[in-house]
Amino acid sequence: MSISISTSEDNKSATIKINGRFDFSLHNDFRKSYKDVSLPSGQYIVDLSGTDYLDSSALGMLLLLKEHAESQSSNVRLVNFSEDIREILTIASFDKLFSLD
Amino acid sequence: MSSISHKPKTILIVDDDLTNRLVLRALLTEAGFHTVEVENGEQAVQAVEEQHIDIVLMDVMMPVMDGYQAAKIIKSRQSRFVPIIFLTAMTDESALAKCIEAGGDDFLTKPYNHVILASKIDSMLRISSLYQNIEEKNKEIQESHFLIQQEMNVSKKLFDKIIRNDMRGKETGLNYSMSPMSMFNGDLIIAEKNQTDGLNILVGDFTGHGLSAAIGAIPVTDVFNSMTQKCFEFTEMLVEANEKLIDLLPTQMFMAAAMISIDRSNNIISVINSGLPDIYLYRDKKIIRTFKSGNIPLGISGLSASQLEVEMETLQFGDRLYVATDGVMEATNESGAMYGLDRLLQVFDGNNDSDCLFDSILQDVSDFCDGAAQTDDITLLEFCHLEKVEYKKGIEYSNQYREPSDWSFQFSLDIASLRQFEILPYIMQGVNQLQPLEYGRTSIYTVLTELFTNALDHGVLKLDSSMKSTPQGYMDYYQEKQKRLESMSEGHIQITLSHELSKDGKGGRLSLGIIDSGEGFDHGATDLVNKNQFSGRGLKLISSLCTEMKVLGKGNSVMAYYDWSSEN
Repeated sequence: MSISISTSEDNKSATIKINGRFDFSLHNDFRKSYKDVSLPSGQYIVDLSGTDYLDSSALGMLLLLKEHAESQSSNVRLVNFSEDIREILTIASFDKLFSLD
Repeated sequence: MSSISHKPKTILIVDDDLTNRLVLRALLTEAGFHTVEVENGEQAVQAVEEQHIDIVLMDVMMPVMDGYQAAKIIKSRQSRFVPIIFLTAMTDESALAKCIEAGGDDFLTKPYNHVILASKIDSMLRISSLYQNIEEKNKEIQESHFLIQQEMNVSKKLFDKIIRNDMRGKETGLNYSMSPMSMFNGDLIIAEKNQTDGLNILVGDFTGHGLSAAIGAIPVTDVFNSMTQKCFEFTEMLVEANEKLIDLLPTQMFMAAAMISIDRSNNIISVINSGLPDIYLYRDKKIIRTFKSGNIPLGISGLSASQLEVEMETLQFGDRLYVATDGVMEATNESGAMYGLDRLLQVFDGNNDSDCLFDSILQDVSDFCDGAAQTDDITLLEFCHLEKVEYKKGIEYSNQYREPSDWSFQFSLDIASLRQFEILPYIMQGVNQLQPLEYGRTSIYTVLTELFTNALDHGVLKLDSSMKSTPQGYMDYYQEKQKRLESMSEGHIQITLSHELSKDGKGGRLSLGIIDSGEGFDHGATDLVNKNQFSGRGLKLISSLCTEMKVLGKGNSVMAYYDWSSEN
């Protein structure tokens, strides 16, 4: 599967890793990955190190994750992305909505 | 044996030999089937056409018409699946192959083993029932497809009617190409004339494509058209459209957009890029300015006009602006490669004739894709800043003649209301309701805007108009204005509008007065008309648009008069 999630032992953070193309075809898998995760005041980390492409529906999915996180007073951080993906995130000004590094 | 259905199945026995028919009938009747018997191929064809036959047991050699020919005819005429089992004494392979070739579904060699016969019939009936199921499902799908298609056609017509306002043309400088991936376009272009006689243009790209993406275009168009008509600032329109989309769209959907406003009185272009790819301004065969996205796409989170990153540039005649949605850069060829930014920039670099650049870009994208299936809506827009523009279609005002009457109203605005409230559209609406003027509308609006801007900028905010003498200065001026507006703690403007019926009753005089809290200026010493290009133009413009203009008091009060008659 191209999406995996792991939760830290202290239940403060959960890391979602996406491999390959992050597009509409991952819609259900992405949602399923965090649906039952509860992290009160924690952080969701989206690890994009294995992601080679990200389209606008992926941006939409990240917004859904943000909504899920915020309902638990958690936040979302996007990490390990390539320059190409940084460009896409920058065009959408997602740095104003997520923490990026 | 027949577990498929409780209703007895009808089996057609085709054989010229009476004994053979009797044997088969006995076997089949005992097994619970209903039988019909005929003696040759021709009769078989007729029987299948006239009665409901579930399976045909067909002899090969018969007088009049043999089994091969009959099978061919039956298979070609029946749209439903009628299984044919050949009964043959022949055992050589080529004869058996011929049975199948003629359209037979199976064969049975004489003499019959009744167990084999029964199981062959059973298996054929099962296949036949599968066929029937598929056929019914197919029919259902076809019917619902037809209904969906019809509904889509109707919706498409309605949709196009709402979205349609095509301002393209050699006279307007606007050109664009939209190539939707499906019937409905998730990309959107709206353009409308603004009060400077320039264009306000919105280019939008909704997440995804197709109907669900296109549906958001309706409220956006609605906001754009009604607010342009009411002369709202383009920043306010974007804020309003954003609010609408936040309400309307599900979390994962949004609209990347660019709002472009061409101010023809000052030759300034303003661009708000909210999530679209780079927008290029092209002059003398070079890209001289790139407007990068600096804002979140619309429909995600609330924002106010002051939070928007607005970029400006002075325009020269002949300048061209290019806006593309990501469908252009992400257009994909058969081998999965994307068109990409580098190829696009190469087309700009290699171009020799500005008039052909637009077509060259489209051609290059199309050559690259070489017929590969489109994966997103593709939109490219070009705007050329022309020395003279002409619009065939404009906003259609529902003008209704009202008998001239006497009226007046007055607004007083303190600094807080000036900061928070865009008053002019409301004043214009008031005037339009009280006294719709077919020809004077734009002039009055321009006069009102210029006077109000003067009062605010120089009177209340004390900005120095000489700042505007260079293009860079113009940008600084704009920023400084925002800053002072936010921080200023006192100041006010009073606007008075009145209308006086003319003596013959067929027209009237509209008077417009604006007083600000500023120190005014020495109007006696200022030559209002002959000032440099970047300032003072306001007053010059006003004098040319209205019948009479007076600067009063210490220079902080201006009156403008506009005479009209219904006989003009």
